Amino acid sequence: MNRNTWISAYARFLGTTFSVNLQAVMEYRVNFLIQAFGMMLNNAAFALFWGVLIERTGGIGGYGFSDIMFIWALVSSSFGLAHILFGNIRSLGRIVQKGELDLYLLQPKDVFLNLLASRTIVSAWGDFIYGFIVLCFLPGLSLGRLAIFSSFVCSGGLIFAATFAAAESLTFFMGNSSAISSAIAEFMLSFSLYPETVFDRGMRWVFYSILPSGFIAFVPLAVFKGLNWAMMPLVWIVALAYVAASYSLFRLGLKRYESGNQIGARL
Amino acid sequence: MTASAAVRRLGKYREVARMSARNKLRYRGNFAGSMLTYGLFVYVFSRIWAAAYAGKAGIAGYDYSMSVWYFIIAEVSVFGFGRFFWNLAEDLKSGQVAYLLAKPYGFIGYHFAQAMGQGLLDAGVIFLEGLAAGLILAGLPPNFMLWRLALVMVSLLIAGCLQFFLQMSIAMTAFWVEENAAFFWIFQKLALVVGTLLPLEFLPLWAQTAAVWTPLPSLSYAPGRIAVAASPGESLVLMGLQLAWLAAATLLSRLVFMAGHRKISIQGG
Repeated sequence: MNRNTWISAYARFLGTTFSVNLQAVMEYRVNFLIQAFGMMLNNAAFALFWGVLIERTGGIGGYGFSDIMFIWALVSSSFGLAHILFGNIRSLGRIVQKGELDLYLLQPKDVFLNLLASRTIVSAWGDFIYGFIVLCFLPGLSLGRLAIFSSFVCSGGLIFAATFAAAESLTFFMGNSSAISSAIAEFMLSFSLYPETVFDRGMRWVFYSILPSGFIAFVPLAVFKGLNWAMMPLVWIVALAYVAASYSLFRLGLKRYESGNQIGARL
Repeated sequence: MTASAAVRRLGKYREVARMSARNKLRYRGNFAGSMLTYGLFVYVFSRIWAAAYAGKAGIAGYDYSMSVWYFIIAEVSVFGFGRFFWNLAEDLKSGQVAYLLAKPYGFIGYHFAQAMGQGLLDAGVIFLEGLAAGLILAGLPPNFMLWRLALVMVSLLIAGCLQFFLQMSIAMTAFWVEENAAFFWIFQKLALVVGTLLPLEFLPLWAQTAAVWTPLPSLSYAPGRIAVAASPGESLVLMGLQLAWLAAATLLSRLVFMAGHRKISIQGG
């Protein structure tokens, strides 16, 4: 199969899984709307907190209200996109542990991609939409800025998915990585949503390595504010590097996988 | 009812609470998740407060140390007692309610004992973690005195009971509406903004005035305020308000149950 055919085959595959997942979600419309609304409400509560605090202080660590709302918007949409397209990124470890990987090993598509894309998280739609709603209220919105934002939502989504999946893949080596993967998810989300400058300088290197919050929120903020397009390819290169590293870790771990001979079906 | 009959009656609920606590202790790893999240939250917010107070002695009557300690205590109510709803709602939706109604327990009393058995353990662990984190991040609590510590613990206990009866009332809306999570989310987020993330004094005046007429300040603000700033007199007023809201919430849950349990139809099984 040549490269173009391979890419279009996988694009079709992802399109189909997305469509099937969406149909499954829309089967329970009320549940979908409630969960999406709940997530938006959750995020909006923090927007109120920041509004009140910044009204009182004038700014936190050099960040104004718009800056903080931008990172909330970007992180929400990126996190949402990662869980909409790759809903199994935080269940991968459990699937490996229960021996449910057999099902995916027997199918012709790439195991990693097939496994991650075979589910969507309903509440993630609320996160995804919330980011774009907030963006509409930020000052200075233009088509150029919308394009930058959308591009960073995609790169951020890939970084979230790659990091969470890598943490879950540690199950192949540790037997159970749920504690470490929950910790990584909590830390990554928390560090991405708050101004970088409030944290000690000594720990900021973490944001550009193990927990790449810097490439999800802080570098994009600088690009967005300065309309500095030149930095965008760098963020994409980093995102693809994280995806490659996560994929390699999964493939390495897969060699250690032992089938539980479980019989199952995907419905 | 004689005194011994009343003690016997309460004894069965004590036993339910004890079993619930033992069940929680059996899986100690369950504490790790909330301890980690709470610790992370406290650390992140201590950094936010440090940045907010850079060059400022006080905001709305609170200094850095007060704000950090306030947050630590206010969050104990959320982490210890803030998630009862999910189990309660699940029991109602899954039909478990049919089994519970047939048992020689009061429906609300049984759930109260079960929730508090685990909630008190959760809150106790988080409280101890909070004390350690506070000492590291902000030093001794401002105006520290033993009576204040004792009142904080009593206030947290009342807040926990109030959390239960409010969440129970919301969960019992499942008698009418199956997808009732949105009601809880609205309650939870209002509680977060009104007195958990920030003391009431930070809010605009209109919001402070409106909040006084709701039970929300009794959930987190009261114990947080008692911990860092309230005088003995103000502490007693705050706890009096908490008790009044607790009585109202208990009555509310009873009324909701009386109206709702008629909707149950049991079809064998």
